[in-house]
Amino acid sequence: MLYVELLIQGLIYGCMYAMIAVGLTLVYGLLRILHVAHAGLFALGGYLGLLLTNATGSLLLSMPLAAGLVGLLGMVVYRLCYQPILDRPPYVALIASIGLFIAMEELFRLIFGPYGLTYTHAPLQQLFRFSGVTLRAVDLAIVVGSVSLLGSLAWLAKNTRTGIAWRATVDDPQMAGSFGISVLKVRYLNFFIGSALAGIGGIFISLLSNLVEPTMGGVPSYKALAIIVLGGLGNVGGTLIASLVLGVVEAFGTIFIGDYLDRDAIAFGFLILVLMIRPQGLFARS
Amino acid sequence: MKRRIEVLMLACCLVAWLINPAMAADTIKIGFHAPLTGFAASDGKSATEGATLAVKQINAAGGVLGNPLELVVYDDEAKPAQAIPIANKLIGQDKVVVGISGSYSGATRSAAGIFQEAKIPYISAYGIHPDITRAGEYVFRTSFLGHIQGKAGAKLLGEMMGKKKVVTITLQNDFGQSLAAGFEEMAPTYGIAIVGAYQYSIKDRQFGAIVAKVKADNPEAIYASGYYFTAGPLVNQLRAAGVTCPIIGQEGYDSQKFIEIAGPAAEGVIITTSLDRDSEVPETADFIREFEAQAGFKADMVAASGHTAVMVAADAIRRAGSTDSDKVLAAMKTTDLKVSTGTIRFNALGEVMKAVQVQVVKDGNWHHYAVIDDPELLAPPEK
Repeated sequence: MLYVELLIQGLIYGCMYAMIAVGLTLVYGLLRILHVAHAGLFALGGYLGLLLTNATGSLLLSMPLAAGLVGLLGMVVYRLCYQPILDRPPYVALIASIGLFIAMEELFRLIFGPYGLTYTHAPLQQLFRFSGVTLRAVDLAIVVGSVSLLGSLAWLAKNTRTGIAWRATVDDPQMAGSFGISVLKVRYLNFFIGSALAGIGGIFISLLSNLVEPTMGGVPSYKALAIIVLGGLGNVGGTLIASLVLGVVEAFGTIFIGDYLDRDAIAFGFLILVLMIRPQGLFARS
Repeated sequence: MKRRIEVLMLACCLVAWLINPAMAADTIKIGFHAPLTGFAASDGKSATEGATLAVKQINAAGGVLGNPLELVVYDDEAKPAQAIPIANKLIGQDKVVVGISGSYSGATRSAAGIFQEAKIPYISAYGIHPDITRAGEYVFRTSFLGHIQGKAGAKLLGEMMGKKKVVTITLQNDFGQSLAAGFEEMAPTYGIAIVGAYQYSIKDRQFGAIVAKVKADNPEAIYASGYYFTAGPLVNQLRAAGVTCPIIGQEGYDSQKFIEIAGPAAEGVIITTSLDRDSEVPETADFIREFEAQAGFKADMVAASGHTAVMVAADAIRRAGSTDSDKVLAAMKTTDLKVSTGTIRFNALGEVMKAVQVQVVKDGNWHHYAVIDDPELLAPPEK
């Protein structure tokens, strides 16, 4: 029974990682930029979701609203931070991104205070029991929410004109452009969807711990990078599987080797191990 | 015209130069560093508010030696590398009479050495690493060592509550490790069997895996170290998974914010700390009331510790009758002062000797549960 529970917890961790990492790998696939400030948008999602839920009393209303706002801000980040420096070497954008992330953390602290915020009535706290396994509604919501959101994203990418244009641009931006696809629109869409997903990820985490704090983007800022490397940079499917695998490895690792290594050390130890065997990541782009 | 401006500027400089030393002579400066930004900013803010309140109260009562106190505050971000230049600045530029750390152990340790070298008395308000006071005789601590509090936790669980089958969940930093060390040392004495021991990092907020294992261990009680921002989610997730046994924490939980984060799950959680919310001792009751009025949020252990350290510093200067550092040091060594966190006395190493307060969450607030006043168990190291 313990193993089943650990596996479930690992999948919950994995789903949360996936929500954050997908946006990051989308940006990398399209622009070859390591978008560290993505973790700042994740934290912003947590803040907006919580503030809107506290104000309206409805998570169902505030979640899409917060995700939309974070998505729009993601587009603004692209326009103001990345677009002007796209012709520079990639490390320029990386430095700008790290700077933006730190600025966002400190802004959250200045605006919302250093203590972190909590839900006045934390939603989704009902308990469910399935033959010995106790789960909170929020655990289920995370798994169902992430799977359905990421699943529909995959379906859209395969079956709609926009999705095909998007994939074409990722594969070969020049060729896509000469076929009449607006590369700029694809980039905006990319930032919107990636950021909105991260925003929802932030709300999920805030529901799990009933806490949003200025530094909540700290761990995702580097762990999501590890995940997209593991998944083969720019590969969405690989990123999803890598997220789940890493979540499960962490859940079991915390219990069985937690005395020697902390959760991050387990994650990065696993990353090093995988890269030694498969330097191109688990699922490299062909 | 140009010449006139030059003369005017020169005059301004002269006036400023004349006024400045005169002002400096008027106030007695206490140096204070705390994390006002970064991950520990909330504790830094509480500690600074507590210290500011102490200065206000002292100045309202006429100051020290006829002069008002001035608190010189710097942000150390809880980083050792920041604390070093700050300590040098406080000593060299601000010429403080006493230095106080309202920060975590790392930053406090690195500043302590510099104050010791400059022979300026220095107080760690709540930094718990044992090496802090070992910097030398000029360094004091007004809070418990983690090790001592861990021992008190073992007595609370094993003897006072009669729980013998315990799981420990330890925060992987100096605070958590030293608590665990003290707890494990005394556990056999009180007949406690540790049936599971797990660790987590200060960045963790999701404890699903540990919670699943604790459930399988089925302990009689849990001894879990952490700060309010880790303990809040931990307690919440333990209770959500159906773990109902008592949870024992420490002063890191000691904040209204813990109760807010953990929500209804916080009810019944017991901690060892330094601040008794139900105290009728005027020093404590007045502090709690005035702190809330000034800061706009409820007092916590960190705030009381910042307040205590300033009170101890002011008392030492007053009894020394001078701001001479050697005289202040001699006076500080013989401190016997009633303050918000109890009666402060120091041993030969500069470690505080006082009783441990045990608090419990009842109806969404911290309340008195017990006091552990066992001088032998709580005796801090002498060297």
